[in-house]
Amino acid sequence: MIYYLLLPVFSLLLLTIQVTVFDVLSFGKTGLEISLILVIYAGFYLSIIRGIALSFVLGFFLDCITGVIPGFFVLSYVLIFLISKGVSLKVYARGVVFTIGFTFVCVLFEKFLIILMYRGLYGINVFYDILSISLLHAVIAGIFAPAFFALFHRLEVLFNVWEARSPDRL
Amino acid sequence: MASPKKHYTVIVVVVFVIISLTIFSLNFKSPERMSFFRKIVLEAVVPLEGAVDSAFSSVTGVWKRYVLLVGLERKNRDLETKIASLTRDASNYREMSLDCARLRKLMNIKNDFKLPTVAARVVGKNRSSVFKTVLINKGTADGIKTGFPVMGMGGVAGRIMETSRNASKILLLVDYNSNIDVLIQRNRCQGVLRGCGSFGCELKYVQRSEDVKTGDVVVSSGLAGVFPRGLLIGKVAAVEKEEAGLFQKITVHPAINITRLEEVLVILEEKEDNE
Repeated sequence: MIYYLLLPVFSLLLLTIQVTVFDVLSFGKTGLEISLILVIYAGFYLSIIRGIALSFVLGFFLDCITGVIPGFFVLSYVLIFLISKGVSLKVYARGVVFTIGFTFVCVLFEKFLIILMYRGLYGINVFYDILSISLLHAVIAGIFAPAFFALFHRLEVLFNVWEARSPDRL
Repeated sequence: MASPKKHYTVIVVVVFVIISLTIFSLNFKSPERMSFFRKIVLEAVVPLEGAVDSAFSSVTGVWKRYVLLVGLERKNRDLETKIASLTRDASNYREMSLDCARLRKLMNIKNDFKLPTVAARVVGKNRSSVFKTVLINKGTADGIKTGFPVMGMGGVAGRIMETSRNASKILLLVDYNSNIDVLIQRNRCQGVLRGCGSFGCELKYVQRSEDVKTGDVVVSSGLAGVFPRGLLIGKVAAVEKEEAGLFQKITVHPAINITRLEEVLVILEEKEDNE
């Protein structure tokens, strides 16, 4: 239960860091979507219910903070989580190369959804605009994914230990 | 036979997917339905972003000023400390001077308007995102409402997309969802300016026969009822007349630098009903 109580706070902190710190570090030229890496991690290592709740909350908050079309990030994060979960059930060898490659594909998939949404809903072609930034986003997310996977794993272990030791568990 | 736990998991997944689809579709039917939750998130995130932003700026400042000085000889340390202290003061004064210049510039813009305005600081920006929005630290408590026009230094920045008590989200004029009714100042030729993300803006629905040149100034027409008439928006960067088609392809560069938006002026103007 405590996981679900801490989830909004943790998500908000993560997104704040993602939006402010990484924007400053990259001088606004590129971005690192840590929230998406976390969603992919959740697909591989968290239970379905915990993972989908995390994806939903992250997507909803990101919609509130940076989204123009409410609901887009919620839908895309939940979809990417389900795809990651589906892949995790079929793939057993999850090395660094696989993590990099899968994250790269997931980021491109998210951008593809944006292109599809603009094309389908508004008839606007944003392909060339998105192409210029999405490849770089995907490469950066792919490169950093193994490090973030290790960090998230460590945090998950710490949280589980803390949850198990907590005398008055909620 | 499937276990009850598996059924439970499937039900939860289906429920989450249905909720996600519902939120997405609600946006098109009645976006205000979800606004309560979005306002809560905005209220929570703006102070956080402000704090993280200022803390991060301080850390980077400290890094720039002090860490690089470590390793110098002991006898120079006092002098170095003095220099560092003076540098810090000078940097602070320089920052204050720049702030002052920016605010003075904003005040000049402010004086040009007869309309009431409120100045706000940009606290959250995600410049590399496909969606071009920024967060500011003023909201309904300062009289800001959804749809109000926003000015940056030198020209129109966008309009208020969403607002809570102490925070607002601005839809920048370069976002694909932004459409502004504009005029070419020189010949009063009318069109609709649509955002094109990192490509700037595109001026649409200008007939082939119209005389539009590179460098022409683009201003708001005031016709849609959102932006007051005559606000500077940008300059024509390129004009293309394709062989076929009724309209010209006109690229416009915004007058303001979207990536360096730090302070903005929100024009407190009620929307007219003629929109």
